[in-house]
Amino acid sequence: MDRRARTTCCSISATTPEGGTTRREHRGQLVVSALLGASLLAASGALSFAHEANQRLSAGASWRGIAAHPYLTVIEAAPAFTLRDTANHQFALSRLRGRVVLLSFLYTSCTTTCPLLTQRMALLSDQLKKSELWPSSVSFLSITVDPDRDTAATLVNYARLFDAVDPNWWFLREQTSELRPVLAAYDEWTKKLPDGDIDHPARVYLIDRRGDIREIYGISFFDDRQVLIDIRTLLAEPK
Amino acid sequence: MKYVKKWVAATTLATILLPGVAVPETCVSPYIKGLRQPEKVMYLWTLPASSEGADFLSVIDVNLASPTYSKLLRKVEVGSVGNEAHHMGYTDDRTKIWAASLNTNRFFIFDVATDPMNPRLIRTIDNVSQLTGLTGPHTPYAIPGRILISMASGPDGTGPGGIAEFTNEGEFIASHPAPNHPYETVIKPEFNRMITSSWVSQKTFMSPPSKWDPKDFTDTMEVWDLKERRIIQELKGDPIPLAARWMLTPNATYGYDISNGASTLWMFRMEPNGSFSYRKAADFGTGCGPGDLRQSSDDRYLYVSCFRTGEIQGWDISDPEHPRLADTVQGIVQANMMHLTWDNRRLYVTNSAISSIDYSPRYMLRLIYIGPDGRMKLDPQFSIDFSKVPDGPARPHDMLLN
Repeated sequence: MDRRARTTCCSISATTPEGGTTRREHRGQLVVSALLGASLLAASGALSFAHEANQRLSAGASWRGIAAHPYLTVIEAAPAFTLRDTANHQFALSRLRGRVVLLSFLYTSCTTTCPLLTQRMALLSDQLKKSELWPSSVSFLSITVDPDRDTAATLVNYARLFDAVDPNWWFLREQTSELRPVLAAYDEWTKKLPDGDIDHPARVYLIDRRGDIREIYGISFFDDRQVLIDIRTLLAEPK
Repeated sequence: MKYVKKWVAATTLATILLPGVAVPETCVSPYIKGLRQPEKVMYLWTLPASSEGADFLSVIDVNLASPTYSKLLRKVEVGSVGNEAHHMGYTDDRTKIWAASLNTNRFFIFDVATDPMNPRLIRTIDNVSQLTGLTGPHTPYAIPGRILISMASGPDGTGPGGIAEFTNEGEFIASHPAPNHPYETVIKPEFNRMITSSWVSQKTFMSPPSKWDPKDFTDTMEVWDLKERRIIQELKGDPIPLAARWMLTPNATYGYDISNGASTLWMFRMEPNGSFSYRKAADFGTGCGPGDLRQSSDDRYLYVSCFRTGEIQGWDISDPEHPRLADTVQGIVQANMMHLTWDNRRLYVTNSAISSIDYSPRYMLRLIYIGPDGRMKLDPQFSIDFSKVPDGPARPHDMLLN
């Protein structure tokens, strides 16, 4: 069953071949629509980014460029880190060695790309479950770049919005002083904008079972179908 | 739910109607963060007119409200000579500029985020040919977290080149061989397709034209599966297909490139079966010798610089299969690189190609205004004379705005 996300200018939806929507997709549609709509109250700069991202994502409805045999060479070793999960327990990246990891950076008051990305990742987790790769072989990490506003409770609420409360998907945070070097190691700079938004690169990293970065995705062209193939490709490699 | 849909539709309309919403900058990688407001500073990759002195990044005030508008503010030298400054590219997050040197195979990485008006050289990669097995770096092109650089030739400056891949910070990742001499890269992410144009080997382009061997000229463009880093089709046309531009409308299946050797415009198109067609679309006129091709963000106009005749041509491509010459501007001797602003209204032009083929010492940066009807007019005031800059004449080439 193809439950591919379909985006339009300012809303996101996903359909079954029968034209229906699942509970996760229906909720995601409402959440992303509301968050993107809220962006209209923000500065025109943020608006332009939202529009640009949506315009690009809208192209995804008919993407024909899925690669069956992706080139996934080692880009570099994934920088190690230890942060805190929403239960305030320490969480080290090394704990996931032996699993393929998808690592994203976001902040929950983001009204542009972050909710779109989280929705895409949620859809991808559905695909992984159907493929019986979740939770056995793949994990997701989402690190907030805004720890001052994103408390543990805020992150939990955000995960609930996307049906992303899952023991295999960790939302991580840390005090700013301890988070800063982790963000720097991933070249994830942040810049606070006058309207309260945070400008940040919002790249997504695919990390293999040995702890090496094998692909970097840009949010504007993040295609969960291709990421699924990339994950399968890494899992097919010898351990 | 109906209420939500109505609200989203209304707010979508509001987005479209709101003034001041930026459109993407053209002729840069689609992975690069867009420019969200009028440009304030230009970075211009420049080399001394003589063989002495270091190449430098010119920092130019292009803020209309500034008292130093249209002035060269400073030069950021790279500390080495003979590099042959040529093309540059932003990283995907627009924090760094990669500047390539045609002759010495060096890459210079500038930080333009910390203080955009004061770029800082943060790294020089000297051993590119040893790392990559390739020479003659032309255009750096961003993909997420990384840079692809089209490299003209093999390790000794002859033979086929390829595409070199580095992290944004400058760590080498891989080289991807090509059967020709890659010049420029264009990517359409929607289709996972990359097209590389081609020209000549490093040994040839660093020699005087009288010594150029036509056998070294290429006439091919390569179509790549980007994710697989694999060439899937070769397009054969007129000689030396330089700048290539894919249309910016999401899912646009076509684009154009210029043949320097035949002074012609070519059109490539991805057909419904996924293969590409390639055909001649227009003729620029005898003796044009096109150096650069730029596009408007609405896919309506192309701009061509005629290196040999000093003419800038504006082509209306509203009817994509039948480009129409809409307007011309004369008088920019050896016109070469161009850069169109985010609002499609200003076109900056420089006039040095390569030290080996420049034929006039009157080096300059000029500005052309473009009206809503596509008519072009040379700004009589905006002119930076690089033949009279401090420390000696210099050749201005590629530009980026910030």
